[in-house]
Amino acid sequence: MSEPQSKPIICPVCGKKAKTGSAIDCARHMFGTGDKPHRKWVDEHVKEHGESFIDLLIEQATTPGNRSYVLLAECIEKAVKEAEGK
Amino acid sequence: MNKYTVINPHEPFRVLNTHVHNIDGIAKVTGRATYTFDVKLPGMLYGKILRSPHPHAKIVNIDFSKAMEIPGVIGVVTGKDTLGVKQGIWRRYNDLCDEQVLPIEKVRYIGEPVAAVAAVTEEIAEKALDYIEVEYEELPATFEPLDAIKKDAPEIHEGFERNINVTRHIEWGEVEEAFEEADYIREDWFKCGGQHHMCMETRAAVASYTPEGKLTVWTSTQSAYYHQALLAGVLGLKEGNVRVLAPYVGGGFGGKFELDAAQFCASVLSMKLYKPVKIIFTREEDFIASKRRTPMFYYTRTGVKKDGTFCAREAKVFTNGGAYTGMGATALYLTGFFHSFPYRWKGYRYDGYRVYTNTLPSTSMRGFGAPQAMWCSEQQIEWIAADLGLDPIEMRRKNSHHEGYIVPGQATIASCGIDQCYDEIRKWIDGKGKLPANRAIGLSACGFMSGGIFNWFDSPYSFSSAVVTVNNDGTVELHVGAQDIGQGSNTTMAIICAEALGVKVEDVKVHSGDTDHCPADLGAWGSRQTLMTGNATKMAAESAKKQLLEFAYAGAGLNIVYDLDIKDGWVHAIARPERGEPFVDLVKRATRGKDGQRIVGRGYYTPHRKGMISPAYSYMLQGVEVEVDEETGKIKLIDSMTAHDCGQPINHLGLIGQLEGAFSMAAGYGYLEYMPFEDGKMMNPNLVDYKMIKATEMPPANIAEIDTYEPEGPYGAKEAGEGLTNPTAAAIGNAIFHRFGIQMKECPVRPEMIVNALKEKAEADKGKK
Amino acid sequence: MEKKVITLSVNGVEYELYINPKTLLVEAIRDHIGLTGTKRGCETVSCGACTVMIDDMAVKSCSVLAIQADGRKITTSEGLEKNGELAPIQKAFLDEGSYQCGFCTSGMLMSSEALLRENPTPTEEQIREGIEGNICRCTGYNSIVRAVAAVAKGKYAEVKS
Repeated sequence: MSEPQSKPIICPVCGKKAKTGSAIDCARHMFGTGDKPHRKWVDEHVKEHGESFIDLLIEQATTPGNRSYVLLAECIEKAVKEAEGK
Repeated sequence: MNKYTVINPHEPFRVLNTHVHNIDGIAKVTGRATYTFDVKLPGMLYGKILRSPHPHAKIVNIDFSKAMEIPGVIGVVTGKDTLGVKQGIWRRYNDLCDEQVLPIEKVRYIGEPVAAVAAVTEEIAEKALDYIEVEYEELPATFEPLDAIKKDAPEIHEGFERNINVTRHIEWGEVEEAFEEADYIREDWFKCGGQHHMCMETRAAVASYTPEGKLTVWTSTQSAYYHQALLAGVLGLKEGNVRVLAPYVGGGFGGKFELDAAQFCASVLSMKLYKPVKIIFTREEDFIASKRRTPMFYYTRTGVKKDGTFCAREAKVFTNGGAYTGMGATALYLTGFFHSFPYRWKGYRYDGYRVYTNTLPSTSMRGFGAPQAMWCSEQQIEWIAADLGLDPIEMRRKNSHHEGYIVPGQATIASCGIDQCYDEIRKWIDGKGKLPANRAIGLSACGFMSGGIFNWFDSPYSFSSAVVTVNNDGTVELHVGAQDIGQGSNTTMAIICAEALGVKVEDVKVHSGDTDHCPADLGAWGSRQTLMTGNATKMAAESAKKQLLEFAYAGAGLNIVYDLDIKDGWVHAIARPERGEPFVDLVKRATRGKDGQRIVGRGYYTPHRKGMISPAYSYMLQGVEVEVDEETGKIKLIDSMTAHDCGQPINHLGLIGQLEGAFSMAAGYGYLEYMPFEDGKMMNPNLVDYKMIKATEMPPANIAEIDTYEPEGPYGAKEAGEGLTNPTAAAIGNAIFHRFGIQMKECPVRPEMIVNALKEKAEADKGKK
Repeated sequence: MEKKVITLSVNGVEYELYINPKTLLVEAIRDHIGLTGTKRGCETVSCGACTVMIDDMAVKSCSVLAIQADGRKITTSEGLEKNGELAPIQKAFLDEGSYQCGFCTSGMLMSSEALLRENPTPTEEQIREGIEGNICRCTGYNSIVRAVAAVAKGKYAEVKS
């Protein structure tokens, strides 16, 4: 599981703070919302791992564990850091 | 035959929980009760629906000119005669409004309507169907969710990648950490079948549109208000110009609150022809083209400590959504929530995926996702107890919900009688002594909601409302939007009204099932009416009573600290009950005092700050004694006992009826009601081949009523109509497990599955030797 | 097909009907005579909702032609009460709550009544067999069995006097 954030993460697509503000909650929020803008963002940011929104969703569904959410959470954290760095 | 025991009974009420006959009873036992099936209007035409023979096809052209030449055929409608509105009951979410009841471009399941005919007789309408020529372009189809999510699967709805219709995620606690605390982790895959509502009255509607621009629809519905709003939406009418009347309704069970083709096609025909049109589904149509309980694939992983303490659970669920969303999205959420019930989990995670397929749409059915959840959960828990050598009752007990428990982020449990349920079932088992060798007992625990707090329908109105009007002669009119579908809600509301106002049930006339005259109410689903409409009714009756008592105080000359009350039609000082006056005298005075206005009390209920699911939860534990024939695998139910907490019972006879009736439906789900499909076609759409419990197969359904007090419910009441559909399949599965040591992972359990499992077990045992 | 004139005696009233010989008894009762207490729930003679009594025998009225019942004594659920006084089986159904949605009730009453006429003291098993051909989706049957048993025990007998 991801560490609690010092600063809450807000969704890079819609600006919502998901539950505790952790990256994993943000990832759940993204999968849960699943509308076009969120899908697009996920597709763009997990591409380098050879994944897509729908592949991660189906993996979450068909295999035990939480790999999809963790992977997306890492991508979100990275994206947030990059945005802050700019 | 049946035992009914009450544990911790409450103070006696005057009306509540006494032996009150159903107020619709005389109409029903004398043949006077008329249903939509019986409605006949002057000049009425009969409608029939032409249905798709293909599971997935484009509609290229429909030519009905030959049908129109048949004498007696008055009109034909297709999708082109409609506004083409995509509708759904999840009105708040545009994407999930995905069904044109008469589709314009393509059909997505066998049996989907493509055209409707109105004729002077049913026979002529039926014959005309043969003369409608539909040109289809067949498309590749997909029938199972695990196939439909594959990359190369056909697309059923545009924009729904891999046919994933809805996803739901529920999580609390640190799931992985909680699993690490576990000494033992077990994972299993399960398959839960569909089930047909099989209402005795099939889908039925009579629609009458008149030149004033007003539509009246008589229909077999669980929510007149939903159908008023849904019809207005698809027909482009104002809600106020659509009147929905629900006469007596021949059963619902979760299948009659979405818009159906009888209602829609009859309305479209009537609007085109300005004549009343009646459409009644045949039994076969009802089977292939109404809705069904959602079939599910369940993966569940559960971690426990050596001593049986539950740590964590993770579930992944795929549901076969069929062609459209309907209420299936709610079932997807509820199955995930109730899969945790009635236990405390440090970490819990659920991922649910509803997948479109080219089959009959699946939806809510009594239990609303929970029977599937319990089939998997309660069997796995039994197996875990066996794996660890623990007592299955005590293991369940130590992990169960209790009063005051908070399901993290989801619910607060304000009343919970499950602990006593374990005691009662233990007594029942102990009382049986040693069972014959071919019998075993299986257990299953569960809980259920008392109405949903969700408003995906986007109703602007209170969830429930009630109006109590007191006539000058002391009789009372109660107007509610709650729908009586046989469960007895009219009687329950009459009882609550009589108790609260202090009158007799016979003096209360209940008006329901008419959108012109009754307040809006979300209707009969999710076990909501006793709590929600019950609260509204109680509030309305208490308001009327308060207004009356103001006049009594004014006239009584009592010191203000004295309290007045009304019981059994007698207005009196509580401290000196002999001092008082008849109710009717007070009513006359009050009416005169109000310048002739009738006393009217209003009440409503909308849940607030009640978590994510429901204001209150029922609890139960069930034991079923089962006999299984080793040679044939045939199952026979011998006996059953259910310890049940529904808070304060209100309608005594109604409660027994709900519990017994739910048992028969739930048992059917466990071992009889199989719905096989081949290439999207249901293989047994008739009552010869679709097996249900018959009188000779029904065992005693004994009840131990554990009375608790639910602070959110009227007089402490909570749900009783639906929850009992949840445990039985798993209890039967557990009995089979204890009988043979075999684990049934698919329901309904058919004899051949038992025979095969026994063969496999024998071979495995041989291998071990 | 040429229409025929038949006389059906339903609940003690004679009805002269001019009907197609293919008309089922249930159609004659519901659509021609207009007694809608008798229901229909299937097309396969499987549900029992249309059960009536012909003479004293329970018959699924979707399984016989109206002309076959010509001149016979037919009783439907509407014919059980006499001058507003309910028959014992109806009272027992009320007391036990042996109906919910009510759609199967008319047929269930007729099967129960016919059973009691044939065998006034049936065992529980015989009661269950007697109503086996009637599907009830709501009650789980036990309340119906209790009602028939209560009538058989004579609980409602004194009413006759």
